[in-house]
Amino acid sequence: MRWRPRSTASSADPMSAAVSSSASGWPRRRSKLLPAALWPLILLTPAIVSLASVSFYPIVNGFYLSFTNTSLITQEQEFTGFSNFLRLWSDAQFWNAWWHTMWFTFASTVLETVIGLGMALILCEAFKGRGLVRAAMLVPWAMPTVVTSKMFGWLFDGQHGIINYILLHAGLIDQNVNWYGSPDTAMTTIIIADVWKTTPFMALLLLTGLQTVPTSLLEAARMDGAKAWTTFWHIRLPLLMPTLLIAGLFRALDAFRVFDLVYVLTGGGPADSTETLSTLSYKVLFSTLEFGYGSAVSTAMFVTELAIAVAFCLYLMRQIRRAR
Amino acid sequence: MSDTGKGPRSGSKLVAHVTKADRRQFLIGSAGLLGAAALGIGTGLGTRPARAQGRAEISFASAAFFGKETFGDLIKTFNESQDRVLVKNIELPPPSSSTEVYQGLVQQLARRNGTPDVFSQDVIWIAGFASAGWALPLDEYFPADKRDAYFSGTLSACTYDGKLTALPWFMDSGMFYYRKDVLEKHGGKVPETWADMATIAAAAQKGGDVDFGYLWQGKQAEVLVCDAVEIITSNNGSILAPDGKSSLINKKEAVEAIQFLHDTINTTKISPQDVLSWDEEPSRQPFTSGKAMFMRNWSYVYPIAQDPKASQVVDKVGVAPLPSFPGGKSSACLGGYQLGVNANSKQREAAIELLTWLSSPETQHRIALNFGLAPTRPALFQDEKIKTEQPFMASLEKVFTGATARPITPEYAKVTLALQSGISKALVSGKVQEEMDALATQIDGIVG
Repeated sequence: MRWRPRSTASSADPMSAAVSSSASGWPRRRSKLLPAALWPLILLTPAIVSLASVSFYPIVNGFYLSFTNTSLITQEQEFTGFSNFLRLWSDAQFWNAWWHTMWFTFASTVLETVIGLGMALILCEAFKGRGLVRAAMLVPWAMPTVVTSKMFGWLFDGQHGIINYILLHAGLIDQNVNWYGSPDTAMTTIIIADVWKTTPFMALLLLTGLQTVPTSLLEAARMDGAKAWTTFWHIRLPLLMPTLLIAGLFRALDAFRVFDLVYVLTGGGPADSTETLSTLSYKVLFSTLEFGYGSAVSTAMFVTELAIAVAFCLYLMRQIRRAR
Repeated sequence: MSDTGKGPRSGSKLVAHVTKADRRQFLIGSAGLLGAAALGIGTGLGTRPARAQGRAEISFASAAFFGKETFGDLIKTFNESQDRVLVKNIELPPPSSSTEVYQGLVQQLARRNGTPDVFSQDVIWIAGFASAGWALPLDEYFPADKRDAYFSGTLSACTYDGKLTALPWFMDSGMFYYRKDVLEKHGGKVPETWADMATIAAAAQKGGDVDFGYLWQGKQAEVLVCDAVEIITSNNGSILAPDGKSSLINKKEAVEAIQFLHDTINTTKISPQDVLSWDEEPSRQPFTSGKAMFMRNWSYVYPIAQDPKASQVVDKVGVAPLPSFPGGKSSACLGGYQLGVNANSKQREAAIELLTWLSSPETQHRIALNFGLAPTRPALFQDEKIKTEQPFMASLEKVFTGATARPITPEYAKVTLALQSGISKALVSGKVQEEMDALATQIDGIVG
């Protein structure tokens, strides 16, 4: 009877079972040295340490830096409290970048979700060559963003761009538009490039979501005489909602960090009209080497992203609760 | 902090004004890169144990330029030429990644342990390194009579707070390209004022000889600051006051100059709207394909314009100093890498010996021939060998005479970001005075 608890424990926990069976002479001595409860923790230590050193430490250090005046040039490193954040609060360039980033995140996420949903609905249907289309659809997403950026740079080129050529010949514009050279069009063009690149990713996520909708429900609806639109609105969409929100959350957080497109296409110009938080913090951190203030910009980014994530999650939880 | 370090490793446009020729040569030479790297290791490590006795050991760090040879080869020659000093070559990224070169140097210099003893630096970093106390003042080693041998513009870029803290090495500057054949039709005289330039450009454009009268670089990037420095200085204006503690960018001279740039797009229409998103290469392409009359750009364009495979205008291109406003003097924005000595170097005499050798007429001569980088000593432009092998470079003496440094301030990195943003806003909106006033306030806050 004394052995019972131990044997249940090892049979319930496959990991400790594997450990104790691997060396039959060891378990007894080992269990005297260390309580069994400690073993999982010890085995997790390498993972925890490596994760903490590459992920947790930089975040904490970034937080710390944002409260200092660290600069590689002046060699200062003193704790300055909230002064970086006060400076941030009254920094027009920061707010300019903040609004651009928010607008970019909102516009690209909404467009990508709507278009991605359309693509997913088409790809969900059975038709000839579906596998090929599904694979081809992923090509833009698989391309490195810098390549996409260069490509859109040429497509929207003010002199030789094919977009200008088509629009000019279709009579929609009466002279070449310099898409990246005008504050009115530069951001829109970057959003178009991002939508082209990332919509397939959304379509893929939503497609997997659509495939979890039970066919029995759809068949039942069809037998009741429901049209395609009704089926979509009352069966597919409600059941897809959690996937949609999670995909949207992923996309929004990813879009918020936009860097490569802006960096390659416009460098933040013209007249700061495409400056985003990532490009701004890169400039502050690595051009002026003001690590303190640059970290404050990054911290502000982090806080904003956190707020976006929390908002999404709260909404998601409410949806799930209502579904129950 | 989430994106710290996620930036692309490629060079930043922010401080990348360095000659594109180097980039091109880097591409061409990249095939030989492995061999060259092996050579570098050979010089740095292989020879040291054998001949280290009694020699002062120092290190030299520089951005990696490529040509017919590398800087490692230069150092090898120096090591073999004498037996007092042994130099270890530290290779930094190529000049196209100048943000990374800058970071690398700052990190090493900030340790204050004397490594590297000698380094090369982009002209815009000199004031920052000097004010941080990392660069050794060189006045006692290079008194005034020795300095006369260099271009005065380069010397002033190497001087901070009245002290010479860098020694001129090689240079580049903005210049005025024109189409000889089209100019023949329109008077044949290279314009010396901006107004004449605009008139000829408009006439050539109207006559259908070219699509664009004048091309320049208006992208919100470092090159915009270069274009602005040139045109403002050519109107006797300046970005910073002589003491570097306040801004003069909202004064009449500077505003007139920026207004002229705005007008080239909107009033005289000699420049396409596109210049607002163009840096060097996009503006070079229409010129070498024969679509433009005039262009402002760096020296790297000339070899491309003379290459029949890449150019429609072979032998039709001339180069001159940029125009100026009436009463002003032509000005060319200075670029290039200059030499410095680490203030914490423990082998000061040896460092100075290397520095002197690197900047000597002989070494500059070799760099001109083998790397295509222009000397900072005017006398070398009269050299017969340079005249035959690099005829274009030999013709640049006049252009380099007007070389003007960008604002000399330890806060340059912040000033340039403000300038890029402010000037871009002025060019886009056309509210030049208003934007320059805002910019001046911002710069005063940075340097004041």
